[in-house]
Amino acid sequence: MGVNDFDPGLAAAAIGRALAHGGEFAEVYVEERDGLTLRLEDRRLEQTSGGRDFGAAVRLLDGERTFYAYSDEVDEAGLTAAADAVAAALRGAGGATAPVVELGAVQSRPGAHPVLVPPETVDVRRKADLLRAADEEARAASGEIAQVIAAYADARQRVLVVNSLGEVVRDDRTRTRVSVQCVARRGEVIQTGHETLGGSCGFELLGQAAVLGVAREAAGKALTMLDAKPAPVGLMPVVLANGFGGTLFHEACGHGLEADAVAKDASIYAGRMGEVVAAPIVDAFDDGAVRNGWGSAAFDDEGVPTRRTQVIEGGRLTGYLYDRLRARQADVPPTGNGRRQSFRHVPIPRMTTTYIAPGDATPGEIIAATPHGFYAKSLAGGQVEPASGNFVFGVAEGYLIEGGRVTTPLRGATLVGNGIDILVKIDLIASDYEVKSGICGKDGQGVPVGTGQATLRIAEMTVGGTG
Amino acid sequence: MFDMLDRALERAAAFDDAEVEVYGERSASRRVKVFGGEVEQLTAARRAGLGVRVVRAGAAGYAYTSELSPDGIDAVVRRAYDHAAVSDPDQFVALPDPGGGPADVDPYDSRVETVSDTARVDLALAVEAAARGADRRVKTVEDTIYADGEGEVFLASTTGVRGSYRASQCYAFAYVLAEEEGQVETGISYTVGRALPDLEPAACGAEAAARACRLLGARKCPSMKATVVLDPFVAAGVIGVLSSALTADAVQKGRSLFAGREGEQVAAPGLSLTDDGRHPDGLDSAPFDGEGTPSQRTPLIADGALQGFLYDTYTARKAGRSSTGNGLRGSYQGLPGVHPTNLLIEGDVAPVDDLVAAVERGVLVTDAVGVHSGANPVSGEFSVGISGILIENGRLTTPVREVTLAGDLLAMLRGIVAVGDDARWVPGGSILTPSLVIEGMAIGGT
Repeated sequence: MGVNDFDPGLAAAAIGRALAHGGEFAEVYVEERDGLTLRLEDRRLEQTSGGRDFGAAVRLLDGERTFYAYSDEVDEAGLTAAADAVAAALRGAGGATAPVVELGAVQSRPGAHPVLVPPETVDVRRKADLLRAADEEARAASGEIAQVIAAYADARQRVLVVNSLGEVVRDDRTRTRVSVQCVARRGEVIQTGHETLGGSCGFELLGQAAVLGVAREAAGKALTMLDAKPAPVGLMPVVLANGFGGTLFHEACGHGLEADAVAKDASIYAGRMGEVVAAPIVDAFDDGAVRNGWGSAAFDDEGVPTRRTQVIEGGRLTGYLYDRLRARQADVPPTGNGRRQSFRHVPIPRMTTTYIAPGDATPGEIIAATPHGFYAKSLAGGQVEPASGNFVFGVAEGYLIEGGRVTTPLRGATLVGNGIDILVKIDLIASDYEVKSGICGKDGQGVPVGTGQATLRIAEMTVGGTG
Repeated sequence: MFDMLDRALERAAAFDDAEVEVYGERSASRRVKVFGGEVEQLTAARRAGLGVRVVRAGAAGYAYTSELSPDGIDAVVRRAYDHAAVSDPDQFVALPDPGGGPADVDPYDSRVETVSDTARVDLALAVEAAARGADRRVKTVEDTIYADGEGEVFLASTTGVRGSYRASQCYAFAYVLAEEEGQVETGISYTVGRALPDLEPAACGAEAAARACRLLGARKCPSMKATVVLDPFVAAGVIGVLSSALTADAVQKGRSLFAGREGEQVAAPGLSLTDDGRHPDGLDSAPFDGEGTPSQRTPLIADGALQGFLYDTYTARKAGRSSTGNGLRGSYQGLPGVHPTNLLIEGDVAPVDDLVAAVERGVLVTDAVGVHSGANPVSGEFSVGISGILIENGRLTTPVREVTLAGDLLAMLRGIVAVGDDARWVPGGSILTPSLVIEGMAIGGT
């Protein structure tokens, strides 16, 4: 039994039952996910794990209220129980007549994110060998590589979204990813380096050369940081490298553009549409339709087609990221940003692939124009409070900039600041645009996201270190 | 559910000689979110699933499913066998033998069954009302959540493990925004228990509001080397990071800054850190772990000296000792891994006010962001963004924000010179910790 065998008519019946006591919108989300993960550590492929989840959720919207019930029982009994559970929450609010939901034609966009080699057709041993090769490659970089952790994951997720508007949407998603973490040791000094490659595509993404490249990058980061000196403390110009630097925009700005934070006036961007929120050279986007992007899909998890949304144009705020609920409240069309980790989670506004558009400078020019500063080559991750805009990032790989040149590697650095303040201080953007893949957590839900950026400079930012 | 586990074990017997373990889980949960005095979201959930671990010639494979039909069970067993064929063998991989009786702890409170949706909504509304009413500077209570759940866990293996237990948990949480003169600050609080009557909604709401309001007017402070007082919420975050380096898994894989230091003085004298899987009040207490090993109490640090590490069956066999009952599972979808249960930090306590009064210059830290990205349990480097209140000549003065706290985890542990009398349970790891006073930390500001 899977999503493809599931009769949308059962969903229509459940939607009718869910609306029996009122409510404005009801939806059934059916999800089937088959996944595989492999993990190599200590030169040993220690875990081969995989499984299958099949479940369904019924959602009922009434004004600003959401009622949600889900179950692993994807049959008439399970759906009826879930529909009755959400309807019961509104009992007493109206008469008990279940409306009849007429379903329209099935929408799907096969080929929006082509899968050339479906991972399930590839022998698990080949995937294991890929990790063994990555381990060898990373260790070959230096005798100082003390440990390598390599992980592989693929998943095929089939979803069916049916709602009271009569929409029936099917989406078939395949994601593939490999990540390598290296630990380098010299005497008492231990450093780590991490690199990853993932996409909404098949096994074709992970050619031998690409995976070995990931391993070398991870090893290189850990080895470089062995020579690192403690990072300084204080305000200074910060140059953010392309790729991972994009997590800064994701955290410092992107979360504040998600319409749930905006609707609750819990975002520094609330009520500021059209206002200056960044330097004039900043154009920024969220794009859930990037072909084969790790954060992409043909439709979001509410059945809305994904698309590109410009959020900042010439430094002015031009867009928020909406799911259906918040779009209805704001009386605007949804932007295809209603995402959920699984059928066990309520959809909420989420970023997909978020990026600052590239500029004209070269990375070399930006470094050369900086007499003294901090070069953040790779960020470890960060957090933000959308309400205040305050954020913090760990720097995985950082360097001192002296006399317009990148010099000493620095360890233990943190970047601290405030979203709008930092975007306003962006004064140079290069053309070396690159996207990195990650998992973003919010309200206890992890979803795949891409973060993109070219090398750019922030005129002044607080660097926190121990030196 | 044992009938499903037994079907899986019977199917496995048809394959060949291998050790097989089946873990089953069945649970129900509810979650209520309120906003502005109204229900914003109500979720009802039921979940059930099986996970099968196969050990064949020293190689482990795992597979899980939520399809509990006979076909679904047959398929998951076959898949676990296929996965075992891919993993590398290791002489220490094995399923545990039944190791004595289950620990005497009951993590289930039957009152959870009598709670109505109305009572859940009312509790969440009480938390929100307390937060809103606490201070006129409260701008909005962005998130107020009440959630509860109860479930049953089943375990059976070909090596003779067979057991089950029920557990229940509930919590309420508030996230408050306070505003003054255009500046917004945030504060959180939790209240946790095994069933709704355990919770203290008024105190939870009021505390979240107070934590947000006390930060209003915060600005950067100058960079300095200073003494910090970490409140229990912040202390729990740091202890959580340290604890990942106290697992035998991290030690054996060269990922722990504590490796090879057993017996050494790693913390200030008088300080102790204990993992206690059978603590009567611990939310992560259970009669046995995810492999069937009885839960126990394991000293990690005693009087400042490192006592040992946490073990599951695999790491224990590798170290030539027995498991400490720390082979925990997140759900049926995952393999057991070495994790802490409930962590208790204790020392010679003094009133928090006295501890602050003894600080000439420092910061009372009430919020830290980036603890998971900014603290490295491998290298020991630690750098996070903090908010709090400046301490000058023993008095709490100006609020501070957008500053960093950096140092080395080991130096930090050795620098804990005193602990407060305000120990409390902090969820998200189940840690019982007081405020911690730490000397010689680097504050990065202007």
